[in-house]
Amino acid sequence: MIDPVTYMLTLIILCMVVNLGIALYGIFFRPSLVKKIIAVTILGDTANTFAIMLGYRRWLSPEKPSIPPVLLNYANATKEALAEFSARAVDPLPQALVLTAIVIGLAVTLFLVFLTLQIHRLYGTTDVREIRKLRG
Amino acid sequence: MIDPQVLVLGIGALAALASVVAVYFAVIERNLVRAVVFSAIQSTLYALLYYILMAPDIVLVYVPVAVGLYPAVILFLISKTEREEKP
Repeated sequence: MIDPVTYMLTLIILCMVVNLGIALYGIFFRPSLVKKIIAVTILGDTANTFAIMLGYRRWLSPEKPSIPPVLLNYANATKEALAEFSARAVDPLPQALVLTAIVIGLAVTLFLVFLTLQIHRLYGTTDVREIRKLRG
Repeated sequence: MIDPQVLVLGIGALAALASVVAVYFAVIERNLVRAVVFSAIQSTLYALLYYILMAPDIVLVYVPVAVGLYPAVILFLISKTEREEKP
């Protein structure tokens, strides 16, 4: 008998793998550059979701759920409170890396948008098949 | 008595399943404006998934960037270039 929690987590990971495949299809086989940019953002978000799932921790019991890595009233935290926090909180390192990756992804997307705009100004189209013909 | 963790992760699994549908339509759709709207729906579902995976700080950054800024920038690009993807 499979554990229901494992089942749900496996379902989420399978959905993310399917999303990764669809996004790769969009990047490689759709002709429009705008559609490629949309697929790139979806690909980046899915990769970020994998990183966040890496840091997830299961609940200790139904009364003690896992908590976000935010320590409340840290000024007068006792030793027991700190031990319980480190036993229940999810891993904050992947979340910090994903936070950086989201901001860098925004900059990369803006660069791609203005590159596409310049291609449209020079060639008058955003279809990669026509751009390839014009280059020849 | 159902385990509350299964209930919470079940909502996340539903959001992930719905995001597969949204991603499929975002990639397949020929009208680029509708593709951007489907991409925004996918971002909303991912934000819900991040909240369930105990990452509220990611949600605070992800919602304005991926639901607000990305569609706005790509809609600006579509308004300057082409509205339809040729078959």
